[in-house]
Amino acid sequence: MSRKQRPPADGEIRTLVDSYLEEQQRLQTPVARFASEFESGTPPALASVYRDLIPLSAPAPGQQYAFEVELDACTGCKACVAACHALNGLDETEAWRDTGVVLGGTAEAPFQQTVTTACHHCADPACLNGCPVLAYEKDPHTGIVRHLDDQCIGCQYCVLKCPYDVPKYNARLGIVRKCDMCHQRLAVGEAPACVQACPTQAIRIVTVQVTRTETVQVDTSAFLGVAPDPSYTQPTTRYVSARQPPANLHAADAGTLRLQDPHWPLAVMLTLLPAAIGLQWARAESIAATARIPGWTPLALGIAGMTAAFFHLGQPWRAWRVFLGLRRSWFSREVVLLGAWLGLSVLDLVTPVVRPVTAVIGGLGLVCSVMIYVDTRRTFWAFRRTAPQFLGAALVCGLAIPFPLATASVLVVRMGWEAFGLRGQSASARLQRGPLRTVTTARYVLGAVATAFFCLAAIGGGHAAACWIALGMTIAGELADRHIFFRVVDAPKMPGMPAEVASPLGDEMLAA
Amino acid sequence: MTSELVLHPGDFGLGRVPARLAPSSTTSMVCGFCSTGCALKVHLDAEGQAVNLTPDPDYPVNQGMACPKGWEALTPLGAPDRATAPLLRQPDGKMASVSWNEALEIFCTRFQEVQVRHGAASMAVLSTGQIVTEEMALLGALAKFGLGVRHLDSNTRQCMATTHVAYKESFGFDAPPYTYADFEESDVLVFFGSNPCIAHPILWQRVVQNRRQPKVIVVDPRRTETAMAASRHYAIRPKSDLTLLYGLANLLIGRDVLDHDFIERHTDGFNAFAIHARNFSPAMVCEATGLTPAELEEFAAAIADRSKRVSFWWTMGINQGHESTRTAQAIINLALLTGQIGKPGTGPNSITGQCNAMGSRLFGNATSLMGGYSFENESDREHVARILGIDAAKIPVSKGWAYDQILDGIEQGTIRGLWVVATDPAHSWIDSERFARLRQRLEFLVVQDMYHSTRTARMADLVLPAAGWGEKSGTFINSERRIGIVHKVARASGLALSDFAIFKLIAEFWGCGEMFDRWTSPEDVFPILQELSRGQPCDFSGIRGYAHLRAAGGIQWPFTAADAQEARSRGVTQAGSRSAKSDNERRLFSDGRFFTPRHRARFVFDEPRPMPEAPDEEFPFLLLTGRGTSAQWHTGSRTNKSGVLRKLAPRSPYAELNPEDALHLRIKAGEKVRVVSRRGETSAVAVVTPTVRAGQVFMPMHFPEVNRLTLAAFDPHSRQPSYKACAVKVVKTFGR
Repeated sequence: MSRKQRPPADGEIRTLVDSYLEEQQRLQTPVARFASEFESGTPPALASVYRDLIPLSAPAPGQQYAFEVELDACTGCKACVAACHALNGLDETEAWRDTGVVLGGTAEAPFQQTVTTACHHCADPACLNGCPVLAYEKDPHTGIVRHLDDQCIGCQYCVLKCPYDVPKYNARLGIVRKCDMCHQRLAVGEAPACVQACPTQAIRIVTVQVTRTETVQVDTSAFLGVAPDPSYTQPTTRYVSARQPPANLHAADAGTLRLQDPHWPLAVMLTLLPAAIGLQWARAESIAATARIPGWTPLALGIAGMTAAFFHLGQPWRAWRVFLGLRRSWFSREVVLLGAWLGLSVLDLVTPVVRPVTAVIGGLGLVCSVMIYVDTRRTFWAFRRTAPQFLGAALVCGLAIPFPLATASVLVVRMGWEAFGLRGQSASARLQRGPLRTVTTARYVLGAVATAFFCLAAIGGGHAAACWIALGMTIAGELADRHIFFRVVDAPKMPGMPAEVASPLGDEMLAA
Repeated sequence: MTSELVLHPGDFGLGRVPARLAPSSTTSMVCGFCSTGCALKVHLDAEGQAVNLTPDPDYPVNQGMACPKGWEALTPLGAPDRATAPLLRQPDGKMASVSWNEALEIFCTRFQEVQVRHGAASMAVLSTGQIVTEEMALLGALAKFGLGVRHLDSNTRQCMATTHVAYKESFGFDAPPYTYADFEESDVLVFFGSNPCIAHPILWQRVVQNRRQPKVIVVDPRRTETAMAASRHYAIRPKSDLTLLYGLANLLIGRDVLDHDFIERHTDGFNAFAIHARNFSPAMVCEATGLTPAELEEFAAAIADRSKRVSFWWTMGINQGHESTRTAQAIINLALLTGQIGKPGTGPNSITGQCNAMGSRLFGNATSLMGGYSFENESDREHVARILGIDAAKIPVSKGWAYDQILDGIEQGTIRGLWVVATDPAHSWIDSERFARLRQRLEFLVVQDMYHSTRTARMADLVLPAAGWGEKSGTFINSERRIGIVHKVARASGLALSDFAIFKLIAEFWGCGEMFDRWTSPEDVFPILQELSRGQPCDFSGIRGYAHLRAAGGIQWPFTAADAQEARSRGVTQAGSRSAKSDNERRLFSDGRFFTPRHRARFVFDEPRPMPEAPDEEFPFLLLTGRGTSAQWHTGSRTNKSGVLRKLAPRSPYAELNPEDALHLRIKAGEKVRVVSRRGETSAVAVVTPTVRAGQVFMPMHFPEVNRLTLAAFDPHSRQPSYKACAVKVVKTFGR
């Protein structure tokens, strides 16, 4: 073949590469030929498309805005999610709407349906009710549940409270963000991003009646059947369909096992504080224990626990506002009481007079800790499980030094009670037996060995060193227990995607 | 923090947009994923750099809507695995960046060495349906006329080869006859092996906009999203479609609901076809398809009513089969029998795959000589040579090998050098493990791509970093033959260059630069393409450059000088006017004149053949493959780069299983299974759903593992792979 019919000078070719590289980096400027002329004040071009998809007027008193999804029109294109991301300028993986799939039916009549979900702007929003710093507001006119980003301390309690997995923590900002129904658009007669973007007009904004008697209620009969119980928060979204869904309808991710966020700072705090409060109880109760437990131990553990908790906040310097939610948030109550306990513990070093009061305040603080989780209405965090864990841990630590034999028996009873949770087919049980089995085993082995040491200490006439070793192991076991507490909890959510994560026996994807 | 979420009037008809992303100007361009060809209004900052986008409300195709891929089209440009400099494999096996000069020198030297040792034809090219038409034409011309390449094929072989051949044989030219308005104008829409709800959501939007209360029939083994949305779903046995179509023809003929006048005046071969169809009795068809006689009757009745406008639509369920060309033609035959063609709301209509599959089919220079001509025809060669200003002797006298034949050539040692442009055969080609083995037999493998991370790029000797959609200009041709435009709205990463620039540089370094002296930029190439199209069925010589395309909202071929004249006299192509754009919907064959020498459409048919690898005792399941979600595009080399799109797709490979089979195999939803074929195996998460019938397994093609399983079987006419049927077994996985 003819190699280099036109052998150009070396320099000439180099110039050619350079000129192409230069041309590649040159952008057309806005004045260039292809861009649209500046069109200031042009009304939204899609207004005529979405005009019928938003209410003509603002809600009347006793009404609020709500999303209505026409399931039969939704075909699973998911443009609503991408549009939410783009039109709200959200972070890379952030969108305030999500989609899932529900499956069911028979061989003759198979059934599948995509379900699009954003915030349900509940009539009785759990996120708002739980927020310790009042960073949620239910707009008095529109009923939109707004998150006030500048108030948020990033404690993520709302994430635990919402049964629909709506608020999401944004690590870059250290706060939670969520759907605001594009209230800025609705205010000027524009449709929310998802409504604008749906090619089949399956999403619209409607007004719904809200009744306020002793409780706040909306008609939840049109809420999605395959979703967490609406009676808790009174979600307002309406899912309408002319089809009869099959009886065996289920979320495509119903069989998926998900390990939840470990919330390490909280696990550490909830290990150290019960121990600290328990030790302080012992000092209040028994002269002997007062002698054997140095005054600084409960204080040091308490300070360590409270410090750990700070690491859980995305915006710790805003945390001083935490008392604002005292009237309705167990979170606020806990922080205030435990803060007071810490103060009293310092005072205790100077004057033991405060010791009984400190003990009571500490106990109440722990009850608040329990209620924080009970109030999420998650099965794994029910009172009968959580109270024995937190209060039991305090009790064990309190008894450890003066009464090793009693401690051993309390430990055995507690672990026996908890072991009930390992049985059955619940997600929490399967996760403990599967992906988290190492930690689960560690928790029971530590407990058993600690029990043995307490027994030995008791036989040896309350040998102090053995007691302290056993106490150390008990605390390590409690930490494992708190880790399990957060990781295997049943976190309710709207239907998701199949094959998000895998295998009941666990694999690397679960650990991620 | 609240300030981050403040919205601001966006102007340009956008409504409110994030204040920090408010545009200084906007520009409209066609999306670079699928063949729907939606226009996206890209928001530009003061520098002209894209900051955001929204679907274009004024474009006739998508009318202000887009699927999530379109919404996220800009995101993949910023991915960290962009190829930012040419990469050369070093003696130690690692890749190192080199200068463009070095890369181009090596490209030419190594390929020329291969050609000297093994002949010019030992260098082959695998091209794409993803680059602009002007680049495709330049690549085709450069490779075949400049570099002496004999065998060039494109990944459109994987999606559209069947339709190309089917239309060409039946109509005399690869000419999808419809316009998207037909979705709205039809009374009965029949979808064969097509799931537009998630594969082409914006086309489904047009179905939803149909105000004629249409009957929508879906023929698919699975209860897909589209089957759910349809008025009737026929879940026939996989690969029984050809028998079904002949059976329907038999019923139509038997019932004499034919358009005799149309058949008489505009078709050839009816009598032979009628005799052939007689063999497909309802009993035999029901036996093969699993339909009941009543269902078959009902189906036939739905398409027999000539007072209704009936349209037939098909996608990969038809195209990717072992007898796909005849199956597509069997659909065409139904339209010919009933005269349902050339009128609003009718037609045998193929929905294409890639954004520029149609451009590739016309100008890729693979099977047909660029412009829809024939390599074998001397006058065609001379005609093309004259337009291009080259020596006709440079044009090969026969078409080259198809994709599978090129791979066979590698195996046999005939092909020793391979240049892969904007495609990832190591993921996407059927029986993909074979490609990895064949790599060892190549003396030189060059991959030209946006990303250095594709499976094929990681095997390459040389990686040439290419600019992507949004970083260069040119035109695409969509499914309804609409030529649309794309612009440069972002700077390419690092030293990446547009494919056009890379081809030009290769021409210079190779020493055939002067052959392409007239090809200075995509915009300058467009008139050459127009000239090539002149007098062809695809004649678009009436278009007045890119500016005209921009103003008109894309223009469908044909658009001859006469069409342009007529349009001007009607005043419908006034720049920027909305009515101009909405008036811009045209279909073919309204005069019944086809592009065959006798101007008649042909009835083409054949005996159905059994599928190449039916399930048996050892491999008892039939593996179906297809698109999984609207958020994933093919191999995911772009869509996986968007956090939002990743969130909208399952994260791990999965296999959909019928509950009956799952029960039998003791597999629970969410458990891991192994799916094993005679070629390979992969693990997958079980999704248990009755939407897949017993005995069948569905896996989405977006995960590279899936093509380890598929069988390298091909349609003999189009040489398109049969991705959607092979035998597998499913094994429960114990432990980790």
